[in-house]
Amino acid sequence: MNLKTKLTLMLMMIFNISLFAQDGYQLSGTVTDESNTPIPGINVIIAKTTTGTATDFDGGFTLNVKPGDVLQFSYIGYVKQSVTISNQKSLNIVMVEDASQLEEVVVVGYGARKKSDVTGSVSSVKTEELTAFPVLDASQALQGRAAGVDVQSNNGGEPGAPISIKIRGNTSINASSSPLIVVDGFVGGNMPQAGDIESMQILKDASATAIYGSQGANGVVLVTTKKGKVGRLNIDFNTTYQVQSTSNSLDLLNANDFAKYQNNIRVNQGNSNAYPQGPYDTDWQDMIYRNGSVVNHQLAVSGGSEKVKYYASATYFGQDGVLVNSDYERLTFLSNLDAQVTDKLKVGVNLVGGRSQKSGVTTQSNGSVTVGGDDVVSLAMRFAPDKGVYEADGSFSTNDAIGDAVDNPYAVATERDDDTEIDNFRANLFASYDILEGLNFKTTFGISGENTFRGMYMPRTLKITAGTENGRAIMQNTKSESVLSESYLTYNREIGKGVLTLLGGYSYQQNTNKSAYNEGIGTISDSFSYYGLYTATSLIQPTSGQVYTNERTIQSVFGRVNFDFNDKYLLTATVRRDGASNFAENHKYATFPSAALGWKISNEKFLEDSNAISNLKLRASYGETGNPSIAPYQSLASSEVIYASSAGSTVAAITPYQMANPDLKWETSIQTNLGLDFGFLNNRITLSLDYYNIDTEDLIMVNRGQPDYLGFYNNESLVNVGAMNNTGFEVFLTTNNITNDNFTWSTDFVFSKNINKVTSLINGDDWFGNGAPSYFSLEDTFVLREGEEVGQFWGYDYAGVAQSGGAPAGTAAIAASRENGVVVPGEPLFRDLDGDGEITDADRTMIGNPNPDFTWGFTNNFTYKNWDLNIFFQGSQGNEIFNMTAVQLNNGDSNTTYDYFNNAWTPSNTDTNEPRVGNASFREISSRFVEDGSYIRLKNLALGYNLPSKVIENIGIEKLRLSVSGQNLFTITDYSGLDPEVSYFGAQGGTNGNNQASNTTRGFDFGSYPTVRSFSFSLNLTF
Amino acid sequence: MKNTKYIMWLLVMGLSIMGCSDLEEEPVGLLSPDGFFNTPGDIQIAVDGALTHAINEQIWGRKLSVALMLRSDMVNVQSSQARRVEMDMHTITGNNEMVYDPWRRIYLGIAAANNAIEGADDVVAADDLKNPITAQAYFIRAWYYFHLVRLFGDVPYIAETIDGSNSDFYRNISCTPEADVYKNIISDLEYAEQWLDDTTAAPGIPSKGAASAYLALVHLTRATSDARESKDFNTASLYAQKVINSGVYSLDDNFQTLFNASESANSPEMIFTLDYNNVEADDNAYDQVAPMTGVRSDDDDQGWSVAVPVMAVYDSFEDGDYRKRVSFQTEATIGGTTVDYTNFTISGHEHAGNMPYIAKYTRFPGDYARGNKRATSIKYPMMRYAEVLLIAAECAAEAGDNANALKYINEVRARARKGGVSTNGGYVPETVPASAVPADLTGTVTVADVIEERRVELAFEGKRWYDIKRRDLGDQVFGASGYEGLKPDWNAAVDYDTPIPQDEIQSNPNLTN
Repeated sequence: MNLKTKLTLMLMMIFNISLFAQDGYQLSGTVTDESNTPIPGINVIIAKTTTGTATDFDGGFTLNVKPGDVLQFSYIGYVKQSVTISNQKSLNIVMVEDASQLEEVVVVGYGARKKSDVTGSVSSVKTEELTAFPVLDASQALQGRAAGVDVQSNNGGEPGAPISIKIRGNTSINASSSPLIVVDGFVGGNMPQAGDIESMQILKDASATAIYGSQGANGVVLVTTKKGKVGRLNIDFNTTYQVQSTSNSLDLLNANDFAKYQNNIRVNQGNSNAYPQGPYDTDWQDMIYRNGSVVNHQLAVSGGSEKVKYYASATYFGQDGVLVNSDYERLTFLSNLDAQVTDKLKVGVNLVGGRSQKSGVTTQSNGSVTVGGDDVVSLAMRFAPDKGVYEADGSFSTNDAIGDAVDNPYAVATERDDDTEIDNFRANLFASYDILEGLNFKTTFGISGENTFRGMYMPRTLKITAGTENGRAIMQNTKSESVLSESYLTYNREIGKGVLTLLGGYSYQQNTNKSAYNEGIGTISDSFSYYGLYTATSLIQPTSGQVYTNERTIQSVFGRVNFDFNDKYLLTATVRRDGASNFAENHKYATFPSAALGWKISNEKFLEDSNAISNLKLRASYGETGNPSIAPYQSLASSEVIYASSAGSTVAAITPYQMANPDLKWETSIQTNLGLDFGFLNNRITLSLDYYNIDTEDLIMVNRGQPDYLGFYNNESLVNVGAMNNTGFEVFLTTNNITNDNFTWSTDFVFSKNINKVTSLINGDDWFGNGAPSYFSLEDTFVLREGEEVGQFWGYDYAGVAQSGGAPAGTAAIAASRENGVVVPGEPLFRDLDGDGEITDADRTMIGNPNPDFTWGFTNNFTYKNWDLNIFFQGSQGNEIFNMTAVQLNNGDSNTTYDYFNNAWTPSNTDTNEPRVGNASFREISSRFVEDGSYIRLKNLALGYNLPSKVIENIGIEKLRLSVSGQNLFTITDYSGLDPEVSYFGAQGGTNGNNQASNTTRGFDFGSYPTVRSFSFSLNLTF
Repeated sequence: MKNTKYIMWLLVMGLSIMGCSDLEEEPVGLLSPDGFFNTPGDIQIAVDGALTHAINEQIWGRKLSVALMLRSDMVNVQSSQARRVEMDMHTITGNNEMVYDPWRRIYLGIAAANNAIEGADDVVAADDLKNPITAQAYFIRAWYYFHLVRLFGDVPYIAETIDGSNSDFYRNISCTPEADVYKNIISDLEYAEQWLDDTTAAPGIPSKGAASAYLALVHLTRATSDARESKDFNTASLYAQKVINSGVYSLDDNFQTLFNASESANSPEMIFTLDYNNVEADDNAYDQVAPMTGVRSDDDDQGWSVAVPVMAVYDSFEDGDYRKRVSFQTEATIGGTTVDYTNFTISGHEHAGNMPYIAKYTRFPGDYARGNKRATSIKYPMMRYAEVLLIAAECAAEAGDNANALKYINEVRARARKGGVSTNGGYVPETVPASAVPADLTGTVTVADVIEERRVELAFEGKRWYDIKRRDLGDQVFGASGYEGLKPDWNAAVDYDTPIPQDEIQSNPNLTN
């Protein structure tokens, strides 16, 4: 507004001066942008002549003019300006960035298109949205911002936790459902820092992703990093400080009530041993949580001339997590350099490097280590509150009177070491050459690598976990490397009213992964941590999953045709043919075609002059994409190494692992997309609607139907028989509600609905999985069933508490709940589905659906003079959660909540839905623990202030912005657990999960690192 | 044009590294079965794979060993896990982990043995170089099928490696009749007996004597089965005599030594053992029998109090019998206090119980046994000389040869009265004196006498359930007068055979037993 006023004043001045008109003379002037930076290279032309010039490096120009001439100033990305010359001698022009024009170019695979010409379904996310609040990973900033994009931390607020992105639902069962990330053209790149990202494009439908062929089925995220711009040196410094706290904790019994609870259990179980209450009263949750903090600093320098442009940035991110002993630090460098070598040749290099260090505590344990005794969060809920941190002899306490022995959570959190260091780099060179008018050749060559070191140590002070083995040390190094070379020709030509663009190229990609692993027990002393691995008296044999080398090569050719006719009718067709070494012998090559049509209805005569409808475009597309889904060597016959004890020593031995499977092939997604883009009232209101249907076929399924007696170590064979369907609807609405000089208000609304359906399974049989920790000793906790969404909870249908007089009709209790054939009052009842009076496997059924009906994001941006305010709500509706934490806490062999303690059935409290304490049910999976997981969450509330330029100009600062924000300030949910954004993967999972777990194991909650509430203070400085 | 130079460079840069690959997978770092077998040493590697599955947690590490204890009349479940209760109460279904885990692992062992036996064909070497190695695979294949046939009766019998050419056939096969399985077991053991070395570096490596002893036990077992052949007792006796007369084996003077991980490998009594050596790998050692049988909250054992004998079992051992001392833990040190079994619940743990616990595996698990005495270096006796003597005694009793029956059974009983060095609750060594009461039986030795002697001598060694089955003792021992009292669900008509895992029947409906 400030600048607009300036400009108006300037124009008025010009107009006044024009009263004193004279004949031809030399006019000089300067052209700057809105921030007063001179712009070189602006075209200055006298209208209706060929006379003109361009601004020099300082934005200056001189030109012979006469009064009455109209001077036109133009440059790509700026609003064209015309000035009528009266008799002024000098002229200062302020060019205004053309926001609409900038947004109009979107990056697509191997090229860029004007947004209005895009025929596929593409979401764009703006820089401001990515940096609205500090995030560990830029992908996190996508949540609620782009329709059809589901983003979730794999482990709540854990520092350094991996982020999972899913586009348009689950497309696989056994292969990854994560999208392909392409950074500055590098396929499979690491996500750059949010502050370094210029734009992010999410390619959703097959016509957009089929150019990535066998890697495109899960969608593609195209990330473009910031580049230097012509102009003087720009220095940006951004810093954020954030304080974090847990957003929630459970209300657990204190020591006295706990002893009472345990004694009640023993009475109910007929056990006459009194609970031996300890002398302490410890709040274990309090012991392991603290206030966390995040600091994030970014320093970026950029600039350039017509010939060379540069951008270089360094970012530091440091986090002290809210769980004691969980920290994360990261330093990242990025530099982009482009040089226009000749008129036709351009070369450039992107360099990225980074290092992160994470010291973690284990949460979300899969339960395999000493009955979940490594999982700090669930231990803090389970552990007896009458125990202190230390025993009388100064050693750490363990629980020894209930359940299986475990170390105390404080000891586990503080004594275990788990450090991960990751170094990564990427270097990508490119050269682009304009061979002829309209014909361009581009080639890129890049290498990226990641080296990870992980060290873990379990000291003997943890008596249960590592006490008698005298310390356990683990060191692991993994290295992955990717080489990518791509070359392609682009040809662009106008044919009459049509514009034809052709693309053809070749791609070669090679990935290598290597891992070395060492584990030993019996170290000389705890003080060496895992560095003392070499002192271990006994080394543990590694497995083929711990020590491995594998390679994968993909070769591809691809092509695309775009034909735009009369700016009304658009056609896009692509094809890619991939050959991959990891594909099985009989299916080495695959072809993935797609086609799309677009119709710009608003450019038709009947709408051309409409004031209400400023834009209307219909899009339709169809295409096939693939999911590589086969790991290297997965289709080959192999043996497994196992270790044998022979005459007192250990020897390596072999056993058959699997048969060859030469017919295994990739998974194919066939997608149709229908889209409609609206712009109303000169695009003050824009609306995009997309409907899609994705049929995924040849899903690789684990055939557990291979009999065990065949004797293969891997008793699961893989077959391409599964199929799945995803149908969805996406809305993206932006409205500029109020726009005036001092005040603006705009709103973004994002709505995504996805209906997933499993359409084919092996022999049509239900497929079961386990979302419980392994020490629960449960098998099937969720089911995939034809015609249903993935991951339906599977268990007994809870029917309340038995009162005296036995089980009501239609219900029954497990055998252990009965005495002399009659169910004991207070014991849990379940629906007896097969009516045999017993509760058996046959009475299990689908008891909940973890998939939401829809998810949404709602952003309001207000600006008032120099102030701005961002309010961002995000939510999920209709998903259910299986509260595995409650299963553990209501089981009797751990602490419990006051909620259960107070509401459990007793002879004097019979009007309740909670069974008596110490009931015979043993960690049952039933609808008793299924809850509504819908939520509405205030993700971000941010208030910013830009200091007036007058104030800061004097101290040499171009821009100074201060902001304060809060994240996850409140959540509206009925869920009784810690947080409704859950992601526990059960026995097979762990923090990193595996594909199958993350695709199918949904809506389980157990021992996750808590989601945090945070307050942030940010400073953005530009010199 | 000078620009062509650039184009050339770009093309070179772009294309040079692509090369042209045929996309054949070269499995770097993958252990491929093709071309593996070249030397007798390679056969040994495959044989070791076959042998080591037996010590897995799913077989002797815990699942099968504990299941056999629980199904007998000597061991009760002190905790409440359904799969163990089913074993104890004879309500086993094909969905029981203690059924399908041993099934799976035994078949892994069989496939590994088949791999070794077929692989040996590829090795060009003299018979006397390679056959003694291959014979170990025959031996262990027989050992696995012998467990299967005793547990399940009819089972799928597979004696070749499986690949694309025969996998469809085997996916749909029916169970092989028990009689055929026995025949195959016997022929494998005969091959093993022919080629195995007379002595081996450790009793965990099959020897000629081990094959003979198992031929005795297999015939003895078949003799009372539906698959019996007329001369089975006689043949069993001949093989037992062969072992006795070989002079290679003798009874250990100290019964405790057999259950002392540091000493048992050198005992002259051990014929075949499953050896653990404290190695923890993803898929081998790691036995958990000691914690499964150990006293809850014992300072040293930190046992889990799962498989625990009832008081009547303890009382059934004669007081002067040293085996009572070696087999039972009657004292424990809990929270620094040494108490006798009447006070084992002072820990307050819900699963603690006031009765003597099994002591055979907790007392001397070896130097390196870890938390809860997991991962021991115990050599679990599968076949020891005392059993061979008792097989000989049983065959003699069957044949009416009372003199030999008396001789063999009394030899075993005499050793059990010798005493020796043992420990109890505080794990302090103490010498138990020889018993003053003579051990000799007189008069007529009945088959029941021998079975009773086996019960005491081989207590908690996984033998009792098979004895109950082969001698059809179920109605007697699971009745009201049994040690554990009446087991109301016991049904002799169906409970002797273990149900085939439900998942296996689902994968191949032709399997029924």
